[in-house]
Amino acid sequence: MTTPQLHSARETPVAGPAVPALAARAWDALGFEWIKLRSVRSNSWTVLIAALVTIGLTAIIAHSFAAAPGPPPGGPMTPLSESFLGYAEYTVIPVSVLGVLVFTSEYSTGLIRTTVTAVPRRWAVLAAKAAVTGTAALAIGEVLAFALFFLTQAILSGGHRGISLSSPGAPAAVLAAGFVLCACVLVGLGLGAIIRHTAGAIAATIGVIYLVGVLCLVLPPPWNVRIGRFTLPFAAYQVVARHSQPGLFSPGVSLLVLIAWPAVILVTAGVLLARRDL
Amino acid sequence: MSEPPAARGSGPGSAGVIEVDRLVKHFGPVTAVDGLSFAVRPGHVTGFLGPNGAGKTTTMRVILGLDIPTAGAALVGGRRYSGIIRPLREVGSLLDAGALHGARTAWSHLLSIARSNGIGRRRVTQVLQLTGLDAVAGRRTRGFSLGMKQRLGIAVALLGDPPVLMFDEPVNGLDPEGVHWIRELFKALAAEGRTVFVSSHLMSEMALTADHLIIIGRGRLLADTSTAQFVESSVRTDVLVRSPRASDLAELLTAHGATVEVQDDGGLAVTGMGAPAIADLAAGRAIAVHELTPRHPSLEQAYLDLTAGSTDYRAGPPAGDGTRRR
Repeated sequence: MTTPQLHSARETPVAGPAVPALAARAWDALGFEWIKLRSVRSNSWTVLIAALVTIGLTAIIAHSFAAAPGPPPGGPMTPLSESFLGYAEYTVIPVSVLGVLVFTSEYSTGLIRTTVTAVPRRWAVLAAKAAVTGTAALAIGEVLAFALFFLTQAILSGGHRGISLSSPGAPAAVLAAGFVLCACVLVGLGLGAIIRHTAGAIAATIGVIYLVGVLCLVLPPPWNVRIGRFTLPFAAYQVVARHSQPGLFSPGVSLLVLIAWPAVILVTAGVLLARRDL
Repeated sequence: MSEPPAARGSGPGSAGVIEVDRLVKHFGPVTAVDGLSFAVRPGHVTGFLGPNGAGKTTTMRVILGLDIPTAGAALVGGRRYSGIIRPLREVGSLLDAGALHGARTAWSHLLSIARSNGIGRRRVTQVLQLTGLDAVAGRRTRGFSLGMKQRLGIAVALLGDPPVLMFDEPVNGLDPEGVHWIRELFKALAAEGRTVFVSSHLMSEMALTADHLIIIGRGRLLADTSTAQFVESSVRTDVLVRSPRASDLAELLTAHGATVEVQDDGGLAVTGMGAPAIADLAAGRAIAVHELTPRHPSLEQAYLDLTAGSTDYRAGPPAGDGTRRR
């Protein structure tokens, strides 16, 4: 026939155990999502630009604090929270949008059907996407959190206000700041899977990770704190700044809030993904 | 067609067979598939025909586990698709060639999918060569023509070297060379003993490619037959006769059992009698015959006749008032 390669092509490359172990299949699904994530170059560029903007902005903020004569005006700032002032707006939000796109870009192109024909177990698709994207976000978040911490403290120490990583609570706070990115990216990924349309899912994600908390600030006390402590911005602030403000959750409980939001959203996404026609 | 080699497939009996069993699929109030049953066997190119909206794509999506059936089942090799481990080694499919992330290269697209089913890089290179895409493997798919996207989709379908292949409208938008290439590819795949299931709304295309036809309309089975049989049984031939004494001839032929229809231009459309018999009768009565043409209405016409009652969207008459009837 005209395509003799078809047959000869069969021998080794496709061979493998008839029923591979669960671990091998999980590894395949993870590899699938990892190749897809890194083969869209704009993902890496977005992360890089977000990180550089955040670093630049943090340096400017730190300089202004270092130059200030007394304690900074406004809220109860600490050398720790000063490290992460630009982080929420310039890293967490843009990178969470990338989390949204993990699902919505597949829905908008129709690629989701290719994905599910390759990995028909839909919970496995969700788990693999969440694991790969979440791990990448955690790595980016931690690297950036430590970079921002050291940068800010180096600048602040010029004004003799810096703290070192050995200060009590500092390592946990910096680690938690990195984790905040992971939690918010997973919220975006889950909302993307639920809503399926990019614009709507981005709006919902920014709403959940940012606006709901901001809205709570305008509530009359004590409701602003009572409701606000369940939102992601309040929880993130608590785990990073480690303030024991009356009415707010402890850093430990706030960490649970940070875990609960993506967990609930991802489970909802999984239930819907398993039921829906694609 | 040669007999399919028995060695292909993994299990006995149902290996490589696609079985659709009393399948029903509702989308809200709309019934897309309405009690459809058929089987697609290895070693043949099976055409899946029906007008737009007949339920072809929905049926294929149910087979691939993408749509969840309202009732009934669709099995591949005796199993539900969603229960197959590393399914791309069992079933290759192309539903929508445009389903690509434009920022990804053809190579990355194939590599990711290969990875999902534990298929190595060498096979990715092979399918790129096989589909003639090796030269553009490193290019982003954003700039691909429809023909290149179709080839890439076929490369994906072939990745796992599967015994069963399904293609939804694969020739749409292809140039003649591409159509020819695809046709030969399908025949070669079937000749290797694979199950090749190809949907189309074009009878003319399927007549050239498929050796078995499954025709549906409004989600129901209209015909499940070999192409040759379909051509033979449903193509009604007639003979066009022109004569200066047309009315005498019409009377004579009718008296001998033929059915005669007088055309607008005065020609006689004769059915139920062959051209030689008509000529003999005319000669016997010394009636001059100026034209005697056996006519074979196109296969397309036979298909349109079959699906006439089950078309969802039909255009009004070309010169009509422009209204569309459901």
